[in-house]
Amino acid sequence: MGMFDYEFMQRAFWAGGMIAVIAPLLGVYLVLRRQVLMADTLSHVSLAGVAIGAVLGFNPSIGGFIVALLGALIIERLRRNFRGYGEVSVAVIMTGGLALALVLMSMSSSLTRSFSSYLFGSIVAVSSTQLWIIGTVFALVIIYWVTMRRPLYNLTFDEETAQIGGTHVRWLSQTFAVLTGMTVAAAMPIVGVLLVSALMALPAALALRFAKGFTSALVIAVAIGLIGMFGGLTTSYYVNTPPGATVALLLLTFLLVGMGIQRIYYRLNRNKNDGYAPDIDSRRFWQRQNRSEQNSKVKTQVLNKR
Amino acid sequence: MLLASMQDVIFGYDREPVVNRLSMEIYSNEFLALSGPNGAAKTTSLKLLLGILKPWSGQVQIKRNEKGSKPVIGYVPQQVSSFNSGFPSTVYELVRSGCHMNLGLFRRFGAQQAQLVQSSLEAVGMWELRDRKIGELSGGQKQRVCIARALAQEPDVLILDEPTTGMDLESRKGFYELMRHHVQKHGRTVVMVTHGLEEAEPYLDRIIRLEREEGGGWACLTTSSCSARFGPEE
Repeated sequence: MGMFDYEFMQRAFWAGGMIAVIAPLLGVYLVLRRQVLMADTLSHVSLAGVAIGAVLGFNPSIGGFIVALLGALIIERLRRNFRGYGEVSVAVIMTGGLALALVLMSMSSSLTRSFSSYLFGSIVAVSSTQLWIIGTVFALVIIYWVTMRRPLYNLTFDEETAQIGGTHVRWLSQTFAVLTGMTVAAAMPIVGVLLVSALMALPAALALRFAKGFTSALVIAVAIGLIGMFGGLTTSYYVNTPPGATVALLLLTFLLVGMGIQRIYYRLNRNKNDGYAPDIDSRRFWQRQNRSEQNSKVKTQVLNKR
Repeated sequence: MLLASMQDVIFGYDREPVVNRLSMEIYSNEFLALSGPNGAAKTTSLKLLLGILKPWSGQVQIKRNEKGSKPVIGYVPQQVSSFNSGFPSTVYELVRSGCHMNLGLFRRFGAQQAQLVQSSLEAVGMWELRDRKIGELSGGQKQRVCIARALAQEPDVLILDEPTTGMDLESRKGFYELMRHHVQKHGRTVVMVTHGLEEAEPYLDRIIRLEREEGGGWACLTTSSCSARFGPEE
């Protein structure tokens, strides 16, 4: 196989593989918490960071990284202030980030060329520094997920009950946002700013349609992410198309085909199963009553003390 | 024994106070109902008590138990937003997550916990549906699953916000029985917001009615109490 003779392709596969595991993993939680646009916003914001880095003369990747982290924290903060319609925070930050990026970009003309690699992603753009960044983020996300998966489930299901149950909702929510920011910043050089959210949202969207339970949703999302990533990278190598766009189109095709198959499957199976849901009879409560002894009747007198 | 108390609590969502100088007490090992007309700040009072909302002024206290830790509270809210979307979780997974609140991050989910999840689901008659996706359940069934989840937490206090909404008469009665059982046999405290006082009254120990104050805000409080409950349990 000629593809892996090139070191940059090996790096691309390593980097892509790691991103294709963590991005869909976080994506499932983001979709369920209605925060999926956060990934998109952060990628735009981190573009501003890349521009800042380039203008001020330090590593653009690190600039993008730091700004994505800050952006994540600010979004989280604003989301709490606009309770009930947290999307507002996304719109605010997205506008700010993109506007700043464009203004800074106009200041230095040399930036414009390398910018297209950040916008659309490029396999060649994965330097060994970036590979290290991605590796670190990958390790952090995996460790975080392994330790925090129980509270994360509770948080995702319902913030209020999680809080009462003793979960540090605020802390968890913030750290989660920070890790999302890291992942977005790490994924940028591969899939490009414009398609980062595709890698988070599309596998999750498909997984949520098929999965029976939560664990299976996570597994399916990661599997789809990996297949899409490796398939997309290979295609992009042989057909010479931009990698980010190829991966995203492949994922989109999976989503559409998956939805089509599911629809046909449901239609074919409709006759066999008339859709009757066995409603367990409500007398179950009574059984318990009968089982427990009845001798301890509480005589209750209710007085109206006004 | 006094479990939690609120004193002279004032709270509002914007400028107007919704809760004005509210005081109430909750004793351990009682089945308490919180009642009142719509807009009487029942849910708000609960949230103040639970510490989700911070009062403008006044004190909210929850007694710590012998070990010095806060009591475990199982809360069943009025609505759970994730139920509306297709949250990809089976009934079993959801109830199991109740156990996780006690297990913390790493302790293993063992046979004892599995037993607890099973008995919680059986208590609400949902064991047979454990492999179903929660999004596919009916409103009343979702409510039951939520109750089972709270039970799987092995709470010291169960706080339920209109738990019987969407339940048929028989289920409601069964539910009251179940709560009664938990108060008597497991020594738990149950606080529930309800409109169906006539039905629930035979099972209750005490009722707190939130009523409208003369000349304005929803504030005043009447406690209808039952003296029989404060003696030692037979």
